[in-house]
Amino acid sequence: MLQDILSGKKALFETGAHTELRGQKNRNRRAILLNGDVIGNVRSDVSGVSARVYRNGVYGFSSMAEYSEVAAETVLRAATENANFMDKNAGAGKPALTVLPVKHLTPSDDIHDPEQKVYVDFAREVDAYIAAKYPKITSRRVVATEDSMEKTLITSDGMDGHFIAPRSYLYVILTAETAAGAPVELFQPFGGKGTFDLNFTDVSLLYPQIDALYERIMQKREGVYADAGEKIVVLGGMMTGMLSHEAVGHTVEADLVLGGSVAAHSLNKPVASEIVNLTDFAHTAFGETCPLPVYMDDEGTEAQDVPLIENGILTGYMNSRESAQHFGMQPCGNARAWQFSDEPLIRMRNTAVHPGKDKIEDMIASIDDGYYLLDSSNGQADTTGEFMFGVSMGFEIKRGKLGKALLDTTISGVAFEMLKTVDMVSDTMVWSSSGFCGKKQPMPVGMGGPALRCKVKIGGR
Amino acid sequence: MEKMKQLALDILEEAKRQGAEYAQCSVSESEKKEFNVDGGRFSLMRTLFNRNVVITVLKEQRKGTVQINRFDTDAVKTAVTDAIAAAESGKPDPAWQFAEGPAEQSFTDGEPVCDTDRLFMRTKELLENINEKHPKIIMEQMITAHDSGRRVFMTTNGVTYRTHSGAYSFGLMYSAHEGEKATSFYGSDVTLKTLDKPVIKCAFIERELAMVEDQLDPKKLKGKFVGPAVLAPYALSEIVLGTIMEKFVSDSCLIDGTSIWKDKLGEQVADSSFSMSFEPYSEDVVVPDRFTGEGYPTENYDLIRSGRLTGFALSQYGANKTGGKRAGNSGTNMKVAPGEKSLEEIITGIDKGILVMRFSGGEPAPSGEFSGVAKNSFLIKNGKIAGALSETMISGCVPEMLQQIRGISSDILKDGNDSIPYIAFDGLTISGT
Repeated sequence: MLQDILSGKKALFETGAHTELRGQKNRNRRAILLNGDVIGNVRSDVSGVSARVYRNGVYGFSSMAEYSEVAAETVLRAATENANFMDKNAGAGKPALTVLPVKHLTPSDDIHDPEQKVYVDFAREVDAYIAAKYPKITSRRVVATEDSMEKTLITSDGMDGHFIAPRSYLYVILTAETAAGAPVELFQPFGGKGTFDLNFTDVSLLYPQIDALYERIMQKREGVYADAGEKIVVLGGMMTGMLSHEAVGHTVEADLVLGGSVAAHSLNKPVASEIVNLTDFAHTAFGETCPLPVYMDDEGTEAQDVPLIENGILTGYMNSRESAQHFGMQPCGNARAWQFSDEPLIRMRNTAVHPGKDKIEDMIASIDDGYYLLDSSNGQADTTGEFMFGVSMGFEIKRGKLGKALLDTTISGVAFEMLKTVDMVSDTMVWSSSGFCGKKQPMPVGMGGPALRCKVKIGGR
Repeated sequence: MEKMKQLALDILEEAKRQGAEYAQCSVSESEKKEFNVDGGRFSLMRTLFNRNVVITVLKEQRKGTVQINRFDTDAVKTAVTDAIAAAESGKPDPAWQFAEGPAEQSFTDGEPVCDTDRLFMRTKELLENINEKHPKIIMEQMITAHDSGRRVFMTTNGVTYRTHSGAYSFGLMYSAHEGEKATSFYGSDVTLKTLDKPVIKCAFIERELAMVEDQLDPKKLKGKFVGPAVLAPYALSEIVLGTIMEKFVSDSCLIDGTSIWKDKLGEQVADSSFSMSFEPYSEDVVVPDRFTGEGYPTENYDLIRSGRLTGFALSQYGANKTGGKRAGNSGTNMKVAPGEKSLEEIITGIDKGILVMRFSGGEPAPSGEFSGVAKNSFLIKNGKIAGALSETMISGCVPEMLQQIRGISSDILKDGNDSIPYIAFDGLTISGT
């Protein structure tokens, strides 16, 4: 764990400026198997210290790849010089940030560091299981990975603290061939928060899920192209999570609002049907700990939930301390940085649509000609709210029943128009947390939701 | 640099002492100066000092890699021990192979020394130029930077490279606005060796700003048709060039056999007008990649020449696994040969089609089939741009598109890294509402 060598440096903070001093260590462990060969076998540890200084509406930042008292003093000086340069040459003349109450967060956990053999052996066991049981699989990739962030933060006001956030996953990527010899691919992550050795104790526990993945790719190799055009669909919970994050979440990040996102003109207006509620949860949702809980951010703000859509009305933005002051809102702990050398940016935490009252089987039964879209390969959204998600697994719905599987396709729409077409919301939800959100820096995020019945545009051939 | 070289020597010595039959390490120091503009105003100045050590060892044909960002003796020794332990946990693979020495080379590339005041001045000037000439543009984010670094790469096979490099980069993300009307966001990027002219004149920045401003009144396309699409350089990279690299010619898809081009070496895979190469030593590249991750010196190479597949993008490991030939570099600095017509002339020949500046699509299938949203796109009608489009989807299949090239532009986007034209393809499915 990082030792506290930063607290004593608070005396060096300049008066009249807001200052953050952060020590950080990022750890990554990764074993990659391709058809049984270990093609990647990597351990990475990156640590250092950074300082950020806010003066009159502009920031100065500096970092060094060294976690030491000397490095802390060096980056404090450099960040202050940079803030002064910016203030002199491009100062915005803005007032000081609103002072936050002083609090302290203590680390809830130490961090294990399993040896590399743990990752390689587990991945090899999974690979051997697939190779032995499923000869129709033409290619298999298995990735065992862990990434963790450990941070110690000292601020001129707000929360100081020390926190640790490990997460670990096993990715299984399978390829099979259609009757015509065309390759089809399917992917599934397993795991979540916590270190690898605690998340993956017994490889046989994964076998039922790997068997299910195999069944799905066998269905997909017999799949058909979706018929291009606007359709009524049931989005599965994983797709809803993607929608929450990409299509809505990004447009209501306050920095993108200031950059001209569609949400700039939509606050306190209807953006969805009345049965849609969406929140960026900090650490606890529906009585349980979130997939990737956040208790404080890197500006010293204690993390709280941000209700974004309540009964169809857009009710808020996600903010940094500076943007919250601009919009007259409360900062809720969304300003986060990926590595020691990164400055805090406005990021989502665990963004999800709330479950509703409908049964998934009733939702499917209600559709005469449409699709049930289960898994997404990727997603992108525009500041206009226009979104696109890759669909890696889905089924036709014909006369209320599931039909053939779909080959890879995409869906698109405009978030605040599409959400108004939601007329059924399932009573169960799912979360995912294995991905990174990309926005200047990567950032682990959680996303989730129930199944939604709605209209979207689907790509075909 | 001498201290870094000594550190590299110490790492290799320690790796051999701990039983490595082969070891290589990269020791580097870097510095970044960066200005950020958010929502159209200056927001941040950053100065970053970084270090990096990457150690790869081979023990009994098993490979392990460790990365740290510390230079102190204890950390480095621990990293070597961890790399050895990682290798020991792996599986023997005789395909691992690395460059043989002795060879020692030093390079200085780009502009290693940052003129911070000039970088700030060019950033401010760019912002002012955009505000003045393109008042409807809101700069969502602009990041301008100078990155410099020194690096020593050394192996137990006697290979040593020393590099000292630096470059300026400008990355813009913006959209156009008028009242509550807004366009999709768009990104323009360029890497420069010098700051001797206004940045708005570099790459296609001015052209792209103007095109985005013209997208404020998009129309929805009615219905669906199969027709030509002109892909602008970024869309071409996303849809076609990226798919070729990732799905057809890379180590991964050739080793696992999922590449549909695995048996097509020497065959015609594209129209004869299409040539694609990787040329780190092109005069348009600011900082070339001097050597591969396996220690081999780089050289320019052709992937597709006059439509014929002339090579694969294989590492030495991939070549050994597949029985192929190692590529001349790591797939950097892509170059697509220009055609003879201007973009305007290509558009003139199209009765009904679409011009796509950016693409937001799903992961292409291994077959090269893709679908997604044509962002920042225009309808082409009767040989002319006939207004911007919204919510338009396109789908197609990359191998089929390569055989249906309608025209390649003589206009080339040179962004300091890659050189990419516009290309018009027939046979895409274009669907609106």
